[in-house]
Amino acid sequence: MSVADDLRELSLGRAAVYVVLLLVGAFYLAPLESGLMTAIKTQDAFFSSTPFVPPFGDGFTLEPWYEAWAQMQGPLSDFSGALYNSAFVAIPATVLSGLIGSVAAYGLTNLKWRGQAGVLMLFVAGMFVPYQSVLVPLTRFWTIVGLQNYLAAVPFLQSRVGLIELVVTHTAYGIPICTILFRSYYANFDESMLEAARIDGATFTRIYRRIIFPLSKPMFAVVLIYQFTQVWNDFLFALVLVSSPTNEVATIALNKLQGSMVQQYNVQMAAAFIAALPTLLVYVLFGEQFAEGVAGES
Amino acid sequence: MGDVTLEHVTKRYEDVTAVDDMNLAINDGEFICLVGPSGCGKSTTMEMIAGLTMPTEGEVFIGGREVTNLPPKDRGIAMVFQNIALFPHMDVYDNISFGLRLRKYDKEEIDRRVERASDIVQLEGMLDRMPDEMSGGQRQRVAIARAIVRNPEVFLMDEPLANLDAKLRVHMRTELQRLHKELDTTIIYVTHDQAEAMTMSDRIAVIDSGQLQQIDPPLVCYNEPANLFVAGFIGSPSMNFVDGEVTEAGFHGKNVEVDFDPADVGVSPGDDVTLGVRPEDVYTEDEQAGIAHPTKRIEATTDVLEPMGDEIFVYLLLSEDATTSMDDASEGMSDQLLMSVDPDSSITEDQDVSVVLDRAKLHLFDTETGEAIQHGIATTTTTSTDSSTPAESDD
Amino acid sequence: MPHSIFRRLVSLGSDGDGDANDANEVRTDGGTATATGEGTTRSDQSDRSLLDSEFVRSLPFWLPPALLMGLFVYGAIGWNAVISLTEWSGFGSPDYGDLDFSMYEQMLGDPTFVVAARNTVVLLVVFTVLSLAVGLLLAILVDRDIRYENTLRTIYLLPMSLSFVVTAIFWAWMYNPEIGLINVVLRGVGLDFLANDWISDPSTKLGAVIFALMWQFSGYCMVVYLAGLRAIPNDQFEAARIDGASTLRMYRRVIIPQLRASTMSAAVVLMVFALKAFDFLFVLFGDTPGPSTDILATMMFREAFSSSNWAYGAAIATVLFLLALVVIGPYLYVQYQRGDL
Repeated sequence: MSVADDLRELSLGRAAVYVVLLLVGAFYLAPLESGLMTAIKTQDAFFSSTPFVPPFGDGFTLEPWYEAWAQMQGPLSDFSGALYNSAFVAIPATVLSGLIGSVAAYGLTNLKWRGQAGVLMLFVAGMFVPYQSVLVPLTRFWTIVGLQNYLAAVPFLQSRVGLIELVVTHTAYGIPICTILFRSYYANFDESMLEAARIDGATFTRIYRRIIFPLSKPMFAVVLIYQFTQVWNDFLFALVLVSSPTNEVATIALNKLQGSMVQQYNVQMAAAFIAALPTLLVYVLFGEQFAEGVAGES
Repeated sequence: MGDVTLEHVTKRYEDVTAVDDMNLAINDGEFICLVGPSGCGKSTTMEMIAGLTMPTEGEVFIGGREVTNLPPKDRGIAMVFQNIALFPHMDVYDNISFGLRLRKYDKEEIDRRVERASDIVQLEGMLDRMPDEMSGGQRQRVAIARAIVRNPEVFLMDEPLANLDAKLRVHMRTELQRLHKELDTTIIYVTHDQAEAMTMSDRIAVIDSGQLQQIDPPLVCYNEPANLFVAGFIGSPSMNFVDGEVTEAGFHGKNVEVDFDPADVGVSPGDDVTLGVRPEDVYTEDEQAGIAHPTKRIEATTDVLEPMGDEIFVYLLLSEDATTSMDDASEGMSDQLLMSVDPDSSITEDQDVSVVLDRAKLHLFDTETGEAIQHGIATTTTTSTDSSTPAESDD
Repeated sequence: MPHSIFRRLVSLGSDGDGDANDANEVRTDGGTATATGEGTTRSDQSDRSLLDSEFVRSLPFWLPPALLMGLFVYGAIGWNAVISLTEWSGFGSPDYGDLDFSMYEQMLGDPTFVVAARNTVVLLVVFTVLSLAVGLLLAILVDRDIRYENTLRTIYLLPMSLSFVVTAIFWAWMYNPEIGLINVVLRGVGLDFLANDWISDPSTKLGAVIFALMWQFSGYCMVVYLAGLRAIPNDQFEAARIDGASTLRMYRRVIIPQLRASTMSAAVVLMVFALKAFDFLFVLFGDTPGPSTDILATMMFREAFSSSNWAYGAAIATVLFLLALVVIGPYLYVQYQRGDL
């Protein structure tokens, strides 16, 4: 076989690889693409056209988006609506579990003591517990606690008691993954740097505050982005903990909308995009950090 | 006062003993090197002095004060690390002043001390740089300045030059010696590089297998190694060893014989002994005029030559079937000798030569225990005692 | 579980600095042993050193988080197990005075449970194997010095950033029998006979769900495998090539065996996701997906939260937890043995 043949085979092989990868890419994007196209078509247009083809002429409309927005969120000004509720849960839960995870990881990484492996194992296993196996006690627990009674003085919070329960629950279940992610990061810190601080007389708390925490910024980005996505996307906890319709989070509202507008695929698709918008935005802007968080799951 | 004493210090991990009943007395103002191969326990020893590791048994004293259980910050020590260990998110000033700020010194005092320390290590004008904007050498200076500002009684340095390139390392050695002169405090310096230890320290503590092998000034360790380990570890290239037996006539090895009266060196016929001789104490017949007490001639064939510029290392094969192989090192290398000759020597490879050893520079060790028996084996009983004078050291 | 993390940290701890001297060696293993010395030997010398020990000092940092997490995760699991032994149903509170295994007996005699358990296992195995295979294939392709690698990776991983609710709605549209993309494409390429009402036909329902889940998670497998491939030194590819191994052979004999760790960690994550696939099924089918697609997670929810058979739901949940334990237990054990914890 001549060199030219070799080369041709090589480039043919490479071309094939690119074609395959592009087709697979198309496959991964297809549901999103046809969803997006459907969301900007009129009812008639999407019934009569191919799903992934863009609308033309009269077929184009933004009406589904207005309708989906009105159903799920409504005006932003009155601090209610599904997107607002999701943010009310996701932001505090993410920040809390991130902070707690960072502190716990410090205690489990940079301070050495025997038996860390055992405690760590509980954290790791905690990442993998199927939520179903805690649902019944969880609802029972919040019933017994009766949070709304303590919040009577603050109507703003009392009316959102289900959301507050969600914040606490998500924080608790977010701690394992956050701890593990931070631990992997802290374990790479130069140990003599921390010893240097100790010799300089820094207490363990000081070392955390002055050295570990300021150096954790890149990992906070990873943890916050990943955890925000997880909490925002959650459906099950919200399904069992939130009873009041005014406290519905985005995933619940989206599911409800899907059940009530069975044939209006364009509205459904628009609603799906609206519900996914924050996570899509985060993913597009911080894909690198999200990927790192995903890799941390393994 | 910066004297440091370890008394019966032992450090056991779950199944290994890193440091075994170590006794060490370091004087105030001394520059001492803890030297030994990887895993010998020298770093653990230093960590116990620093308070980063607690001994399993024994006591640590600094400045006459028992500090065994004190945290590092209360021991009056400062430490410089191999990885330099600067705080990457702080500039040079903040790095140097970190400990002082923790102790709430007032601003002027901090400024004064930082300025003095950065003067000493020649970091003027760099106080607002971040660590990642500096070279390795500059970062190491910052680390040293960070130690200086604390006015410690004892400096602990854990291979501080190991991560620097060769040229910078040699330069920093001189700097450290200058620093020692200027500060006049105790410096305890851990290294696996015996050359570093030889050039800088007042005394070398050679450690192996968690035990102190010898603590003496560099030249004493070189000329009168306490045992086979020290003899082999100090000096580069390593000392030649020839295993043999004591006979009525002296030393009898496979290819090397040295005649002496066993009684003169305190051995008796039948003892297993190892003869040690450094490469520079092996001479060709032509050069032997320079030495007072040569041994009998040893016939050899040259193998590989390694010209170093200022000298040539010659690998000698003492018998037909001998090979120059690194694997033989552990077996006493009875079949080969390493010789150092003058660079303008006409010696070539595969040449038959006769060599002699300088009797005054021979070392005799107990093969079993490794302990040194005798340094220098002269022909007469009168000269056998001057073995300890390193006068003829020719390097 | 963080296999890759731990491998990373272990390798960094031991040889990351690239110098093999004892300063690092002793310090890395010495660190843990420090606590041993302080915790055991030193403690009998003075109480002060016990109080000073790193264990005690580390408590304020990790104990409160561990308690909060432990209460919600392990406390709840234990509580759930207790509830499963009661007869609790309907309104009111559980009666903890009378505990027995009647719920588990009922479960074994319940054909719905048997079907759901079987579906769960099928979903678990097929979904995991399929996703791993696709992920591995993609990783091998992307690893060939591909341009736009980052863009491709972003696209492949995108579905994982979406909620199950969102993806379920997209796929309901994809699977629409008349105008959904799947059937439109099949008809477009002349495969009309394959077009089907995928998520209504009991014979294709579970397969359709698995396919959609595979779409969502194979990108994740690719990321894990890609990291594993990148960790294999280039020399090995070169050496195999110089030895004249064909590409296929090289991957089968040299590369894939070295990806065992990646496979294991990805498989654990996938299986746990499969156990959680509830959200996806619930959005598509509500709490009653029918016998062909019912899994333990949906059955548990239906029994507990739709029918208020709390104790029975808790018993199913316990089985679900044990299933998860079967998956992660061995994995944790291996990690522990390797000293990665």
